[in-house]
Amino acid sequence: MQDEHAAIDQRGHRMKQAEPIEWTGYLFVAFFAVPFLLFNVGPILFGLFVSLTEWNIIGSPDWVGAANYLQALSDPWIHQAFTNVLIYGLLIVPGVVVLGLGAALFVNAGYPLTGIARTLFFAPHVVSATVIGLVWVWLLDTRYGLINVYLGRVGVDPIPWLTSAEWVIFGVSIASVWWDMGLAFVLFLAALQDVPKDLLEAAEMDGANRIKRFWFVTLPLIRPALSMVVTLQLIATLRIFSQVYVMTNGGPAGASASPIHYIYNVAIERYLFGYASAIGVLLFILILVVTLLHRTVLRETV
Amino acid sequence: MAALVERISTYLHERGLRVVDIPIWIGGMLFLLAWASPFLWMVTTSFKYPEDVLTTHIEWIPRRVTIDNFIQVFELPVLRWALNSAVQAIIATFFCVVFGAMAGFALARMRFPGRGAIFMVFLASLMVPTEVSVVPMLLAFVKVGWASTYQALILPMIANVLSLYIFRQFFLSFPQELLDAARMDGANIMRAFWLIAFPLARAPAVAAAVIIFTLNWNNFLWPLLVTFDESMKTLPVGIAQFAPNVGTHTQIEGYAVAMAAITMLSIPSLVVFFLLQKHFISGISQGGIKQ
Repeated sequence: MQDEHAAIDQRGHRMKQAEPIEWTGYLFVAFFAVPFLLFNVGPILFGLFVSLTEWNIIGSPDWVGAANYLQALSDPWIHQAFTNVLIYGLLIVPGVVVLGLGAALFVNAGYPLTGIARTLFFAPHVVSATVIGLVWVWLLDTRYGLINVYLGRVGVDPIPWLTSAEWVIFGVSIASVWWDMGLAFVLFLAALQDVPKDLLEAAEMDGANRIKRFWFVTLPLIRPALSMVVTLQLIATLRIFSQVYVMTNGGPAGASASPIHYIYNVAIERYLFGYASAIGVLLFILILVVTLLHRTVLRETV
Repeated sequence: MAALVERISTYLHERGLRVVDIPIWIGGMLFLLAWASPFLWMVTTSFKYPEDVLTTHIEWIPRRVTIDNFIQVFELPVLRWALNSAVQAIIATFFCVVFGAMAGFALARMRFPGRGAIFMVFLASLMVPTEVSVVPMLLAFVKVGWASTYQALILPMIANVLSLYIFRQFFLSFPQELLDAARMDGANIMRAFWLIAFPLARAPAVAAAVIIFTLNWNNFLWPLLVTFDESMKTLPVGIAQFAPNVGTHTQIEGYAVAMAAITMLSIPSLVVFFLLQKHFISGISQGGIKQ
């Protein structure tokens, strides 16, 4: 009994002695933490304050309480921007998931030349929005764009991809899928490479064809990756801005505008910083809800 | 013919493939070709005469080429924008790597109260999209009088959680004996970090540097917001003016010149990617996993 106490004391004592607090750790973290607090955390808190004021670039803020938020709820442009971004999500997320998974399965199958396939499938992801936007403005040109010329050869009338309100979200979405697919592809490929080969071989022995093997063996095993890709892409799409700005600048008549494009307009064209910050907070809440939903779903299914 | 069939079937057998894999492979390669073709079309168009561009007669390999489009790009201050982009991306990447390595090392290998909580705060910040904080940050920079300056382009980018995360993961599995040996020799933890740990962290440093450099080189929204002067624009923001529907160029010469401009803009990113693909993809995958 006494020996035991002595042992515990000794252990506790030894722990304190052998593991002193390394105060230098705080210094090491501080180099990162100071800019992080100033430029990541600070603006968020400052934004919450600004969203409750009326503040243009000159002059000082006037406290208006929740007025910006109330105004946002009845602003038809905001309704349009948030509706647009949901349509973007319905087009881009499935496009990226299906093509990314297809490309990853293809590269993972061990065919010849898949090394170059891996490089090229990912390549669009490393260039800037300006490159994506301008290439696709040219490819989707109504009269001379490559897409419509080839469609014309099989008898399809020219589609006004970027100049009509009906088609413009499709046009921007095609470019966005081309830009974003690489990330999904890489994440799927990493997940596929972790699928145990012997499981697939066992299923093959049992007579499962490749569709069954994919559906009953591969797909359940890569579900975490699938869920992650869907969430990452959904969040990326809710934040869609640069390609919209470059390709259409939100037009025609706001038909392709996204929430961040509208924030940009409100802040830069109209100098309504309080109002722009309030829309930012609303968008953040939407993204937070999506992220938390994803966590809940992930916990239940894994 | 029989010999060819024989060879093909041996080849397939060796790799564990079936006959049905041949059409799948051909289909996949055609899709790959289509996937890569926008890059090819971009480069092709950039070398064409303007009058050969707006036509329904498609030439994947132009009959006649010109470099006039590239020369025309330089009528705008592209070199200045390139300088701004390079200064911004290089300095931001340098600080991201150094600060990320120090903080990542401390959070992985040093013992101090609150270590776990600090890391959680850093990770949680990833859920907040930068776009939310960008308007208040712009307001703050304007109020301080730093709009259209290098400080404004660089400072918000010097602490990147992705970089910290990559280093922390690396240092978590760093051999303790190496650190112990350094301390036996009388080095304090700071010297042990700079002389032993950091020099051995080349793989995460390259991965972080490549990713952060590309992120900065391609960054669009913040430079667009914070640069009011033409001379302080970065390359992606400046070159976006070549868009025929936004810019001042007519549509006729617009596309050829625009393609020349973005061909030059995409070269640094693509070269870095082709050369350092492995690091790039490992860093990107970790960046996805962090979520």
